[in-house]
Amino acid sequence: MATRSNFKRVLPQAQPTVLAPLRTTQMVDESKAILPAELINTILDYLPIADMFTFARTSKRMQEMVYDDTRWIQRLKSMDCWNDVEAKQRFEEAMRRKLEAQRAEEAQRTGVPLQGGGAGLGIGGIEQPRGSMTLFDADEDIQRRSLEQKGRGRSSTLDKGFNDMTLTPTFTAAPERSPMIDPQAALKVISGVRSIRGRARQEYGKVYGALAPYYFDLARSRSHTDPVLFRTYRDPEQQAQMLAQLKIFAKSDFAQGWGQREEKLDTMTGMFENAVLREFETGCEEKDYDGRMKRFASVLFHLNGGAACLDSFIHNHPMMLDKEKLGSPRDCLPGLNSSQLTLEPSREFFHGLAIAMNNETAIIDRVFPPTFDVLQPFLERVAEDIISEYITSLFDEAHDVSTDVYLKAVAGVFDQASQLAISLKPTKGSKADFQEEAVRIISRCFEQHIDLYLQEELDFFKRKSVEQVEAWEKRLTEEEQTTETFYMSNVNRKAAKQDFLSSFKKVVMMPVNVLPTIGGSGSRNSVVAAPAVNGSGGLDTPTRSDTPSGDGTRSLGLQAPTTELAAKAAIMNSRLEGIRTLFSIEVALDLTHKAKSSLERAARFVRLGGQSGEEAKEQCEQIFIFLVQILGNRHMKLGFDKAVGHLADYKPREVADHSKEGVAPLVAFLELVNVGDLIQQMVEVFYLQELVAANLTDRDDFLSLAAKEKKKFEQMLDERVAAGLNKGIDVLMDEVEYLCGTLQQPSDFNPPVGPNGIAQLADIGPSETAKRVVDMVSSHTSMLVGSTDKNVLDVFNQEVGVRLFTAICKHLKRQRVSVDGAIVLISDMNAYNAYIVSLRNKPLMQYFAALRELSQIYLIAPKEAKEIATIIADTDRYHGIFRAEEVYEYAERRADWYQIKSAVEKQMYGVGCWVM
Amino acid sequence: MSTEATNAPKIKLVTSDNAEMEVDRQVAERSILIKNLLEDLGGDNDEAIPIPNVNEAVMKKVLEWCEHHRNDPPASQDDDSDSRKKSTDIDEWDQKFMQVDQEMLFEIILAANYLDIKALLDVGCKTVANMIKGKSPDEIRKTFNIQNDFTPEEEEQIRRENEWAEDR
Repeated sequence: MATRSNFKRVLPQAQPTVLAPLRTTQMVDESKAILPAELINTILDYLPIADMFTFARTSKRMQEMVYDDTRWIQRLKSMDCWNDVEAKQRFEEAMRRKLEAQRAEEAQRTGVPLQGGGAGLGIGGIEQPRGSMTLFDADEDIQRRSLEQKGRGRSSTLDKGFNDMTLTPTFTAAPERSPMIDPQAALKVISGVRSIRGRARQEYGKVYGALAPYYFDLARSRSHTDPVLFRTYRDPEQQAQMLAQLKIFAKSDFAQGWGQREEKLDTMTGMFENAVLREFETGCEEKDYDGRMKRFASVLFHLNGGAACLDSFIHNHPMMLDKEKLGSPRDCLPGLNSSQLTLEPSREFFHGLAIAMNNETAIIDRVFPPTFDVLQPFLERVAEDIISEYITSLFDEAHDVSTDVYLKAVAGVFDQASQLAISLKPTKGSKADFQEEAVRIISRCFEQHIDLYLQEELDFFKRKSVEQVEAWEKRLTEEEQTTETFYMSNVNRKAAKQDFLSSFKKVVMMPVNVLPTIGGSGSRNSVVAAPAVNGSGGLDTPTRSDTPSGDGTRSLGLQAPTTELAAKAAIMNSRLEGIRTLFSIEVALDLTHKAKSSLERAARFVRLGGQSGEEAKEQCEQIFIFLVQILGNRHMKLGFDKAVGHLADYKPREVADHSKEGVAPLVAFLELVNVGDLIQQMVEVFYLQELVAANLTDRDDFLSLAAKEKKKFEQMLDERVAAGLNKGIDVLMDEVEYLCGTLQQPSDFNPPVGPNGIAQLADIGPSETAKRVVDMVSSHTSMLVGSTDKNVLDVFNQEVGVRLFTAICKHLKRQRVSVDGAIVLISDMNAYNAYIVSLRNKPLMQYFAALRELSQIYLIAPKEAKEIATIIADTDRYHGIFRAEEVYEYAERRADWYQIKSAVEKQMYGVGCWVM
Repeated sequence: MSTEATNAPKIKLVTSDNAEMEVDRQVAERSILIKNLLEDLGGDNDEAIPIPNVNEAVMKKVLEWCEHHRNDPPASQDDDSDSRKKSTDIDEWDQKFMQVDQEMLFEIILAANYLDIKALLDVGCKTVANMIKGKSPDEIRKTFNIQNDFTPEEEEQIRRENEWAEDR
């Protein structure tokens, strides 16, 4: 722009002052005002090609202007026939060859110095071509020419004209005439255009020579029978090719009247297209796939990409016209107002559709050229018109029937539809990503339903689970709570739990099943689920790894672990009879099953990706969160609170029957801890399996709501357990004290002296009391093993041990121990010690070892007062647990204390004390 | 488009032969040259604008065209090949307008070029293109005042080279 205005100003600016007076004379001389070259250039653009060359003949300057390569490159570009990259490659290639040739020449004419620089080349350029023409191919000549042009800017006009004149005939002569001679070659003329710098004019000439006659003839013709084109080419395919080429060629027509010419061309093309389309449609009706359809499809494809025949093909396709044949959505809901849902008809629908589609694929392959992607638009249309319609009406009806049915229908049908997408075969014309595209297209049909579905799914799950927990609570209050029977199984708790958990895991890990029919009050409406799944496997699918297509294996696989789990649950339940009032494992299981089925249904939609996928993911997390909440807050927390309440209320002295071993509420509570742990593990398994494994949530994402909720749940459980254990220890110790207080006979440690003067000892060994205490405490502590955290357990054990120690000490101070009874006492202490050792708790062992040592002071004969004093004073014996004063206090419990007291004290405090 | 222009919609132009012409500013602004000039000058535009390259007769003609096209949308600045391609045929009024002798036609084109009125320049060039359509090289040489520097053989050579483009 800048140069242009400069130019303008420079040229005329001089005129008014200097040239104005001279103008009259000048006009006589030159007769006319001269237009600057730039304007002539503009004028050239508006000239028809033929006139441009007339113009070129006027002078060398004009010739140069007309021959200018950029002008022709622009024309080629307007037809999209120019490739800058190709041109550059050719140029570089030519450059390389030129260099090689140069070197060869140099080697040949040794002694003849090769002149470097542009001028030398230029001289050679003029002289050499005639002689060495045959040595160089076209590319090199052009290359040479362009080099020469660059080399000598000053004399370019002359040289170029000269060069063109001398060189071009050899190259242009052949293509010049050939198109007219050979109409066959004209068919491909546009695709044959090469991008060569310096030869754009010649290349355009080829195209022009081949197409312009037809083009201008067409533009002049009045009716469709007129044009030479239709007379030269009788074959519709060739006619189509030519018309398509003319369409492109028309773009390079800049001369005036191009609008009308192009319009005319379009009208002709339209008429031609319509005629061919009619032929195609008749072919369609006659199902003449390999004959007319194939032929005219390729004609239309060559003409303009075949959009018209694609439209007609899809629109008039029998599948579109009688879609009812494939099945009605109503079939899936047999019986009026029943809550039954059979997915068999919908499976048949999709099966039929898949077969039809795959047949279609075969037909498309036969009919359409392999470069033409027909299947995808066709599939889009099918999805829009057939699948969408079907599922919309099915979902609407299902929604009217019940939410349950609706949810199952959505998930089941989605699965079937996905199967369909996978089972589709690509055609030859399909793009590489056809499978993904197919899935995407089909998934799109579901997008509009997803929001509602996800909402319903969550609501449904919430409602059902709340209902169930409430029902259970209601049932509980109706039953009398008094008949709490406590059942202490001797079975290894840990093993039983693991057994149960593994069954649970099996069920959870089971492959995605459409509609799990796991027993439970909530999902009684039996749904024909399994066959539906098997069915979709039948759509001759390249199945996914998790869809076995064999009949029955699926349903068997579904049934076995379920029933196994159900049986285990029943056993577990009976075992947990004791805590029936607090908590129901059955309810918990049911809840997880519901969550699982909801989750699996919802998780399917995560595959959709995009926003819907994200939403589905979120909803899955929500379902899990809600599961944890209802399981934790509503169900377990209540049970724990109740159990802790029972514990707090426990008064050993008020309980009449102590024949059973174990403190009833504590046992119940400890069972509960066990179950709580079980549930927690269940939730963990569920979390890992359903959410993490299914990629619904990121395990390491500490911000994830699901993970947070799970943590909260675990924390809640831990808190309850801790609170319960605290109470439990109190209760346990109460019981211990009660046992000690009620069972220990005064004669145990102080056997009456028999008539023969020897104390009557029933037998050697721990007293009944000690045995009972140890049994009771150990049975309770062992219940916790494996169900709580190791640390919690350690703390608990230690607390129990320390409290037991205090209780024993207290108890000991209430006894009188004779030398004979000391043996029993020592046995008792050994029994306690043995139990404590089994806990493997180091600090505790010291306490009880000290206790054992302590018990020995009763064994020493009364006359050995000095020994007694030594033992009392020897604090090392007691690991620092008892001070001498304390030991002294215990020594006071000797039955014969008053007889030896003075002797012992004398030994301890020395004579001086005694004197005082 | 300064707002002060609305108060004085008229501006004065002085042609090469010192004729003073008064014209609507909007009309004059069809010329990008004048438009830019006015914008550069700012508010005080009482002075007559000298147009040293255009004489009165041509200027009148040019302004006539501008008057008729005063409400056309402003020309797009890009003059790539595509916009040229999309240029339509000459409309009837313009065809009549261009029915002048050849000298005047060239003067108009030069003026349009100088004044930077793209649409007028296009019309002019098209008219010239129409004019020389189908003419022989000799006639073209006359029209454009071109000196023939070819030998007859050379001229024939060019014709042969481009035979493909000849009307058949």
